[in-house]
Amino acid sequence: MSSTESSDSLLKVKNLKVFFELEHYENKGLREIFISSLGHPLQYFFKTKELFYALNDVSFELQKGSRLGVLGVNGSGKTTLCRCLAGMMTPQFGEIDTKAEIRAIFDSGTGVMPELTGRENAYLLARLFFPKSNDIETIVNESIEFSELGHFIDVPFKKYSKGMQSRLMLSLISSKTTDILILDEVFDGADMFFKTKLASRMMKFIESAGATIFVSHSIEQIREVCNQLLVLNQGKVHFYGDIEEGIKSYINLKS
Amino acid sequence: MYFREELLQTRDLTVASIKSRYRKTWAGFIWVLLNPLMMFGVQSLVFRKFLKLDIPDYFLFLLGGLLPWIFLTTTVQMGTPAFVSHSLLLRSFKINPMVVLSAQVLDGFINFVASFILILLPLYLFSDRSMVSLVLLPMAIVPLLIGTLGMTITLSILNVFYRDLNFVMGFLFNLLFFLTPIFYPKEYVPPQYEWLIHLNPINYLIDPFRSVVYDNSFELFFFYFLKSMLVALGFVLLAYFTWKRRRNEFYRIL
Repeated sequence: MSSTESSDSLLKVKNLKVFFELEHYENKGLREIFISSLGHPLQYFFKTKELFYALNDVSFELQKGSRLGVLGVNGSGKTTLCRCLAGMMTPQFGEIDTKAEIRAIFDSGTGVMPELTGRENAYLLARLFFPKSNDIETIVNESIEFSELGHFIDVPFKKYSKGMQSRLMLSLISSKTTDILILDEVFDGADMFFKTKLASRMMKFIESAGATIFVSHSIEQIREVCNQLLVLNQGKVHFYGDIEEGIKSYINLKS
Repeated sequence: MYFREELLQTRDLTVASIKSRYRKTWAGFIWVLLNPLMMFGVQSLVFRKFLKLDIPDYFLFLLGGLLPWIFLTTTVQMGTPAFVSHSLLLRSFKINPMVVLSAQVLDGFINFVASFILILLPLYLFSDRSMVSLVLLPMAIVPLLIGTLGMTITLSILNVFYRDLNFVMGFLFNLLFFLTPIFYPKEYVPPQYEWLIHLNPINYLIDPFRSVVYDNSFELFFFYFLKSMLVALGFVLLAYFTWKRRRNEFYRIL
């Protein structure tokens, strides 16, 4: 019985912990550090470092077909969690157990070189986003056609509106499916999301992925997309399970 | 296998960044060539004609030290803000940040090769020196390139935390220029000050290069080459450990 369970499991996250030393948040310049270390040398070099837990003992599991929504107020650890799963950050404690291909997107309006045209940027993005792909040409051409940017595709990327930038990038990244898809607030602020042609492509993209992690501030979007919910609060799992129950606990948490 | 993909990414980004620069302004493209030419012209005039340094083939001597110095310092100063200026890209999805920096360093390297050939060829044509040792040039470039890459990566990571780092580096490079034997030979340094030169890592990265362009001695070259490979390796290790220690905070602050 346990073997059928594990064959459906795409990702297991166990007791994940990520902490930061607080002093880095002050983001001081070297000049300021120089001055304060001269002014109070002992205090500066021997002060105790405070730790801040961005993730504290987070565990969950993704099965094939899971579409896990993640809710939480700003600073609750949502993005840190996604960055760990994407392999950008390395947790100090805990385990991420997966063999799946994970693709994560944290912003949709990204160009690589703003001076270059949309087409050139699309090509670079494809190269960076699908490093293992051999058919970059096909991906780029198909996405450009889908994005319906017309003659704008040969205009410098920096002249695009935010909407056009997202259209190009989202068309591009949604052209190849993946095992686990992570979308971190990618559609927040884009009210067009559930109304357009791009929206139905994104929905298909989400459905075709083995599993999805969907971070959003919008409860409506979570309802539309997800079938499970994880609520984070100060780096800890506040709720994990059913959507409607989770939304209630999130709303209680905020008030 | 993954290495190959990153090489392709680096190649495409380098081409794109050259394209992007020259599309911004033509003058920018000429400037990167003109800048080392003018530095070389003025310095050779001042040190050769005004200060009358008595060094045979002074132009070649100066070229062998000055061009790698300009490459290293301009690349480091152009590359240090690179992570911050590409922060949206680095935050948007997973790419290896080193790809972005390698492209930046390669871009500077191409400028370096172009301006180097532009100055070197006429100098050799008008001198009766042997050009045999120039076959070692590709080898001399290796530690310089690796060392510059390691230094740029380290500083670019730190620049995410200390945003005025490039300002400080500009100041440091101004000081170091005089403490690196570029326009004067090492032999001019009195013994009691030699430690100043020995402590300067950039000195080691430049040595094999000048040895090839000027000294014409194979034995000396291999000695310099080994030393500079060690220094280059040191910079790469520094970059590696800086990244390892700071990567979580890097993404947090970027």
